Amino acid sequence: MRIIVILGRVLDPAGITINQRAGRIFVNREEYVIQPADRCALEVALRIKDATAAEVVVLPRGPLPDDDILRQALAIGADRAVYFTRERFKADEAVMVRLLEAAIDRLGGADLVLTGATTLDSGQGQLGPRMAAALDWPQILDAWQAEVVDGAVQAVRQDGTGYVTVEAALPAVVTVVPGAVKPRYPDGVRLVNIYKNVGEIAAALERWEVTDLVGVDMLVPLVERRGQDFPPPRERGVRLSGAPDEVAVAAAQALQKRMNG
Amino acid sequence: MSYLDLLMAQQEEVSEAEGGGGGVWVVADVVDGAVAPVTLEALGAARTLADALGAYVYGVLLGSGVSDQAQLLYQAGADGVRVVDDPALAQFATAPFLKVLSDLFAEEQPEVVLFGATEMGQALAPRLAQQMSGGLIEHAATLSLDEETRTVQGAVPIYGGEFFEVLACPQARPQFLTVEPGALGAPFLDRYRSGEPTALDVTLAEPDVRILGPAEGFEPPAVPLAQAPVIVAAGRQAGDFALVQRLAAALGGRVAGDRGARDAGWIEADQVIDVRGVTVSPDVYVAVGIRGDTFHNAAIEAAKFVLAIHPDPEAPIFALADLCIEGNPAEVVPALLEALG
Amino acid sequence: MDFTLSPEHQALRRMIREVVQNEVAPLAAEIDRHHIVPIETMRKIGATGLLGVCFPQKYGGMGAGEMGYCILMEEVNKVCTSTGTNVGAHIGIGAMAIYLDGNEEQKRKYLTPLARGEKFAAFGLTESGAGSDAAAIRTRAVREGDSWILDGGKVFITNGGYADTITILAVTDPTLGARGGITAFIAETDWKGFKVAREEDKMGIRGTSTAELVFEELRVPHENVLGKVGEGFIIFMKSLDMGRLTLGAACIGGSEMAVDSAVRWAKTRQQYGEELAHKQSVQWKIANMATELEALRSLVYRTAWLVDTGQPFSQLAAMCKLYGSEVASRAIDMALQIHGGLGFTRDFPLERGFRDARIGEIYEGTSEVQKIVIANNIFREHGVRVRP
Repeated sequence: MRIIVILGRVLDPAGITINQRAGRIFVNREEYVIQPADRCALEVALRIKDATAAEVVVLPRGPLPDDDILRQALAIGADRAVYFTRERFKADEAVMVRLLEAAIDRLGGADLVLTGATTLDSGQGQLGPRMAAALDWPQILDAWQAEVVDGAVQAVRQDGTGYVTVEAALPAVVTVVPGAVKPRYPDGVRLVNIYKNVGEIAAALERWEVTDLVGVDMLVPLVERRGQDFPPPRERGVRLSGAPDEVAVAAAQALQKRMNG
Repeated sequence: MSYLDLLMAQQEEVSEAEGGGGGVWVVADVVDGAVAPVTLEALGAARTLADALGAYVYGVLLGSGVSDQAQLLYQAGADGVRVVDDPALAQFATAPFLKVLSDLFAEEQPEVVLFGATEMGQALAPRLAQQMSGGLIEHAATLSLDEETRTVQGAVPIYGGEFFEVLACPQARPQFLTVEPGALGAPFLDRYRSGEPTALDVTLAEPDVRILGPAEGFEPPAVPLAQAPVIVAAGRQAGDFALVQRLAAALGGRVAGDRGARDAGWIEADQVIDVRGVTVSPDVYVAVGIRGDTFHNAAIEAAKFVLAIHPDPEAPIFALADLCIEGNPAEVVPALLEALG
Repeated sequence: MDFTLSPEHQALRRMIREVVQNEVAPLAAEIDRHHIVPIETMRKIGATGLLGVCFPQKYGGMGAGEMGYCILMEEVNKVCTSTGTNVGAHIGIGAMAIYLDGNEEQKRKYLTPLARGEKFAAFGLTESGAGSDAAAIRTRAVREGDSWILDGGKVFITNGGYADTITILAVTDPTLGARGGITAFIAETDWKGFKVAREEDKMGIRGTSTAELVFEELRVPHENVLGKVGEGFIIFMKSLDMGRLTLGAACIGGSEMAVDSAVRWAKTRQQYGEELAHKQSVQWKIANMATELEALRSLVYRTAWLVDTGQPFSQLAAMCKLYGSEVASRAIDMALQIHGGLGFTRDFPLERGFRDARIGEIYEGTSEVQKIVIANNIFREHGVRVRP
């Protein structure tokens, strides 16, 4: 069985300060980590591998300036990772899906695609379901855990205040919520060797030219960035006045709005 | 109904375009048989977009026993409503809902499609966008229009709303967007608007994901207090701690407190919010009867929103809080619980 | 000249931070307060492979070199000096002696489980009448057939209370003194004749085991002689050389904690209507702390690089420990001053850091001993052999 894990990187939020007054992001420590939800997806894949002896192949969810997070994933326990190379490579989810679909094809197909349900920075969750659409596979979104049972994937999802188990036939796409599982640490020996490019693991990281997988005409992103918008600086100390009931209603509305967002 | 009402209603009998081609479409979320607020918000935004584009607004209503909700979509701004009312659609499942919408949109070729950023929207919008080669902007908190290229721009919250990135899909059509619940504001419901919804003739697909039943024994991993998204904290002036616990339960949050709450025996040492205890960064922090000394306030600096309730108008917590209620928690908290429903 | 950390060391630091945040940080205050040795934490760190960070992979290690070990010490000590001390005693002197001078069989049998974190090590040098002046040790080893019989005892042995493997320095020929008369042994602590007499109650690093050990007819097979008979003193001094460097790295961690804490508090606390950050008295303290920290970092990393490239490092390693312990103590002292009364309370980590930092100037050779080592090296280059 082959499991594809699609993962991306994110600037460690502990290393940045966002100054809303100045409308700027200050990067104190530029350090990228695997998207937390993607890291959970990798952990789910490795647990399935532990239970059923699958091959876990890691592919990137977007263009990467370097292969660092793929090495991280190999250190954690993935069997193979593919780095897509191309000069000035730009892509959005729609482009990536074409590329990933071609890469999965070149790998000889897959039984299960796992990825994070949402990205930490931009909150995007479309990659998983877009993959499901492209491959025409069933999708299970926002899973807390997943295992393979008799040629099907069984996953736990939240349902109201409780949790339900759902099942889809393989092949399928499953997205995993951030914090769903406690991810394992990298293995020390694998970590040192993959970064030093020594030992067996060095061959596990492959570099594929993007244009060998898809035509140049398919590499046009649909989404365009048109700038940043900083919310107005926080206004503190706003006093609610009026009868207790009115005050309570206003406060409740403010809370509910905050909790939805 | 008065004569005036009748007259208005006649004048406002809405009309829609003949056949396919464009339009701003909103796919309705139905919760417990009623249209969800986010759908009405999306319709309000769709109305504004459509007026600027010179286009019509369409609502799509899928579910079981939902037909009578159609008028609400008209009232919120729809010019036309498509309905599939079928017991098989009582519960959301990707495959049947997807089939209906992909057939409908293949026929109608919408210009813009809005979903709520809900379970349904997040499951369907990307799949439809992929099938139709459309662009998708998720979790838009505000929408704007680039009229020249008829492009909808969505502001997407980054790092949970610390700032926004404005995204657009100028080339691809349809333009799919999911809108953040509560972000766009509720539209004016024009009760004089009404219309005749169109029932779609469809063959429903079978769900491809089966629900096996409750996940017996499953417990999600515990989240440490430092990372909890909602915290309700008690202070010396909280009065009745049971009320604080009830408020936390109502908000789905964690109970904590300052050193005073610990002295009172309400909380344990590992629940003390203080630079000498736990430093937190929740989305919502409710301080009930916490005066707010420097050591406490420094520990909640990273909180995104603070509501403070304290009887003393001079309490330092008020300088830090986003929203302040001067009052006795014993009176304010029960009222708040009631308002939260 | 290249001062950037290699990609594997950057990745290693990221991994260590994660392990430390999850496994070490939550217990740091509690183990200090209640004098608990976090053996379970040591096992968890061991399971990640980090307790073999600097040892070759063929002996169960990671192969990340001395630089990797320095990063480990820095990151662990930033959060918990007790755990850092447990780690340091295990890797830096306990296992290190076997790595540096053990034969193939000893490395396979003893180093491998230590590197894998399956067993823990201690380093048995200090006695009540002998520490850095190892020539004064009184523990006696007498040859009896294929074995040596050890009698005597050790004090202030870090990890002594729970270690599985211990290296012991004993007098094998009282007529010869330090050079020729002292031999190093590897012993297993479940052997008959090995006894933990007591655990010390200490001012700082309270989450460590500092044990007094007693050997009563402790029988050690001859194959467990580390290096050659009579060369024990040199062997132990070599381990201490390496240990000094990594104690300097530990002090980077302590100093970083102090600087971070001081900066955070100076940004927050208001005095006379403005944040402490705007007070020159505070700015100067922080500028001093940061400068010394940076100087220490440069010194430690350069020394680690000397070790990893096989160059002489003894003098610099002593400087790492001497300067590092001073920098850390000063940084924590200044950070405590910036925090005022808050820093003095036991609920805030600086108080623990302040007590913990003090040991830096004492263990594995006091600051005075480091100065002897440094002066020795300097004068030797000028043809003078100074007396300690």
